[in-house]
Amino acid sequence: MLSSYAGQGRGLKVKLLRAIVLLLIIMPLALNTACSGNGIIEISEPEQRNFALVVKMLNDDYWNTVRMGAEAAAKEFNVKITFLAPEHEKDVQQQVEYTEQALKLGVDALILAASDYMALGQVVDQASYYNIPVISIDSEVGSTKVQSYIGTNSYQMGRTAGQELVKLMNGRGKVGVMSFIQGAHNAEQREEGLMDLFSRYDGIEVAEKAYCYSDPDLAYELTLRMLAKHPDLEGIVALNSISSLGVARAVKDADAGRAIRVVTIDSTPELMGYLQDEVIGAAVVQNPFAMGYLGVKYAADALQGSDIPERVETDVKVIGLNNMFWPENQKLLFPFVK
Amino acid sequence: MKWRQVRSIQFIIVASFTLITVIVMLFVSFVVYDKFANTAEQNAVLNNQQIIDQVKFNLESYVSGIGAFFEIIDDRLNRSGGLPVKELQEQLDTIRMTRDDVVSMAIFTIDGQLIQSIPSQMQRRNTSLTEQSWFTAAVQAPEQLSYSPPHIQNLFEGAYKWVVSLSKGMTYHRSGIGEKGILLIDVNFKTIDDLCQRVTLGGKGYVYLIDSMGNLVYHPQQQLIYNGLKYENVEQVLKYTYGSYIDRSGGVERLITVKTVNPLGWKVVGVSYMDELVTTQQEIGGFLFWLLAAVLGFVLIVSFVLSARISHPIKRLERTMRLVEKGVFSVHMEMSGAEEVKQLTSRFNLMVARIHQLMDQIIVEQETKRKNELDILQAQIHPHFLYNTLNSVVRLAGSGRTDDVVTMISSLSKFFRISLSKGQHIISVQEELEHVKHYLIIQNIRFKHQFSYEIEAEERILNSRTLKLILQPIVENAIQHGIEGSADEGCIRISAREVDGKLLFKVSDNGAGIPPPRLEAIQAGRVESRQGSGVGLRNVKERLQLYYGLAYGLEIESQPDVGTAVTMWLPLEREDES
Repeated sequence: MLSSYAGQGRGLKVKLLRAIVLLLIIMPLALNTACSGNGIIEISEPEQRNFALVVKMLNDDYWNTVRMGAEAAAKEFNVKITFLAPEHEKDVQQQVEYTEQALKLGVDALILAASDYMALGQVVDQASYYNIPVISIDSEVGSTKVQSYIGTNSYQMGRTAGQELVKLMNGRGKVGVMSFIQGAHNAEQREEGLMDLFSRYDGIEVAEKAYCYSDPDLAYELTLRMLAKHPDLEGIVALNSISSLGVARAVKDADAGRAIRVVTIDSTPELMGYLQDEVIGAAVVQNPFAMGYLGVKYAADALQGSDIPERVETDVKVIGLNNMFWPENQKLLFPFVK
Repeated sequence: MKWRQVRSIQFIIVASFTLITVIVMLFVSFVVYDKFANTAEQNAVLNNQQIIDQVKFNLESYVSGIGAFFEIIDDRLNRSGGLPVKELQEQLDTIRMTRDDVVSMAIFTIDGQLIQSIPSQMQRRNTSLTEQSWFTAAVQAPEQLSYSPPHIQNLFEGAYKWVVSLSKGMTYHRSGIGEKGILLIDVNFKTIDDLCQRVTLGGKGYVYLIDSMGNLVYHPQQQLIYNGLKYENVEQVLKYTYGSYIDRSGGVERLITVKTVNPLGWKVVGVSYMDELVTTQQEIGGFLFWLLAAVLGFVLIVSFVLSARISHPIKRLERTMRLVEKGVFSVHMEMSGAEEVKQLTSRFNLMVARIHQLMDQIIVEQETKRKNELDILQAQIHPHFLYNTLNSVVRLAGSGRTDDVVTMISSLSKFFRISLSKGQHIISVQEELEHVKHYLIIQNIRFKHQFSYEIEAEERILNSRTLKLILQPIVENAIQHGIEGSADEGCIRISAREVDGKLLFKVSDNGAGIPPPRLEAIQAGRVESRQGSGVGLRNVKERLQLYYGLAYGLEIESQPDVGTAVTMWLPLEREDES
């Protein structure tokens, strides 16, 4: 009797042991699968957003720097940049078409440097149908749909350029103005600032105002014509990088006997060369890299739903021969191309 | 959950197993997590240091390579007869072409005059080269190769390039006279970038390079920093020659690893984000969580099975006990489960069997006792009745009514014959009816024909079985209480019928009836018979129920001055059946 009881007890224990051993075998297996599933957490890459960057002009140092800034931000915020620009800045219609095309493509944000304040305004209004953020850089555009403007205070920039020329000319003499496009908001603003400043100096006389439509060759021609027409012309202000380039080339090639004071805007490498060679007396420089970078950054922020500033005015610096190679200016003026 | 369930063995076992496991596992997890987290952090620090070390070694070998290159050029120039020499220019340019990191080479007088440039380039105006750091360094320490911070090379026409300048004093020969000069080699960032870019520190981490003054040599976001859009906290790095520290500026914890590149004094800085290291810790945490969950699940299953094994036999025992409680003594439990439970089961089985046996014994004893009582009751009827009847017979004989005497005596004889029935309790309905008929004949003579009677029965039930002497006490009551006190001529009706498969006897009279309070008392069984015989309704009812069960019995209906009817229900048992 006793032995049979013990036998049954042993049977029970064996059963239990078997169950435990089985569980011990199964458990690590289950754990393994659970953990291997856990280990390879596939961070599903959020779908890469596509931003359109529409600028005024293709193959231009200034806009290339803007593009570099935009691409630095694109890398940081994991977005793709579709870069669109007409061959020539004066080709406003082409820019309008590119902008429309970008909207139809279904980009997630539009970053625009408008060649024409009014013409691009209508296109930007369309962007509200697509419900995407629009960031305007460099030049403002006539639309209430723009969420943020990043650029220079153009009026102030015009004043600064004028101030530098007045300084170089010791407050007297005939000056010429090389603007770029009639209708571009920043061109008008720069002119306004420039003229307002000149009007304060009785000694300064504006001999001529020309529009080069951001064509360096036209600017070159116009400058030579201007110099020929006004033999007593002593100073020229160029209001953007392209016109500056044309003016600098023309002044360099013109009669070496004449001392023409030139004040330019922007800091492309070629302009810096003219500055070092003293063809250009002073350059008022903006920060195109920051414009491109911030344009993309704010567009990304806007899509994230965070608040972005309505207006960011990037700094303006006056660069002359004396300070162009200061370490901090080197960093600003010369893109770090690897 | 009910309290009863909370206190159950199963619950207690499962709960305590779980609690113990959770406590132990939490403790172990905490210790393991702490240990792992620390190790992970140490590993990360070590790993970063090794990576940065590698970058440092690569940079050092690159720098020493550039230094060697510089020495070769220097040597060539020293050995040449005089400068500028066209062949030498071509030779050196060919050497330069083999390296895509060398932008340009140039020899200057110590006044800053260009003697020769390789490749041959136009010098720009306004270079102010004598103020540039590479020039001053070479003038101050002509014997030592010096490295400039990154700067824009503005000496020659063409594109402005970011370069690092290597410079050293040298002696060159011009028209046979040895003169002091400065050799400059400008190097671009191509190789340095390649060396630094190749390195990754986690997903977000990066490596950058600064010179001994804190100027950025390489940074993945160099242009952003140059434009003031980003900021790198290099001031703190400058305090370190080598080592690691945690940087909390900018709100993010970053692990900074610093190594110094010799002989330049440049610093390789590795930046890793702590939250990525923490990710590893989170992984450990996740693993421990799943481990805890799995162990907990395992323990729950084991403890559930275990406790079920313990508590199940006990529950079974309880259920069986409840059955016994309800009176089912035929249960027998199988012996299974743990040793203790088996013992308990065996004891229980023994106990139930014993109780069952005792109960059976009691039932038998009780029945015997009751039957004995019944026999005594039945036996009580006769002496009293016999006495009365014989008195009547004496009286009849005395008054010479011989016919009545004969009738009476013969009825009495038949009455007793059926009464005795060879000691049987069960007789046929016919016999019972005959028995009561003879009783009525005797009583009718005794009461001088004060009442009439009718007996009717369905033919088919005459052979049915019935308990004997159940009609006579009812009829006796009817005569005593119904007819005797009544002024009118009484009438007693007796019928036997089959109704709904049962046997129905009915005795009714038209006598005085029973007053309602007394009827109630009789029905409740609270009335003792006034006569000493004790044979009355109660007796009949008890006997019927004793024999046939509680489904059968006796009912009384009575209305004062109308009469009384007594009905008795018995099972219908045919003679041949029993």
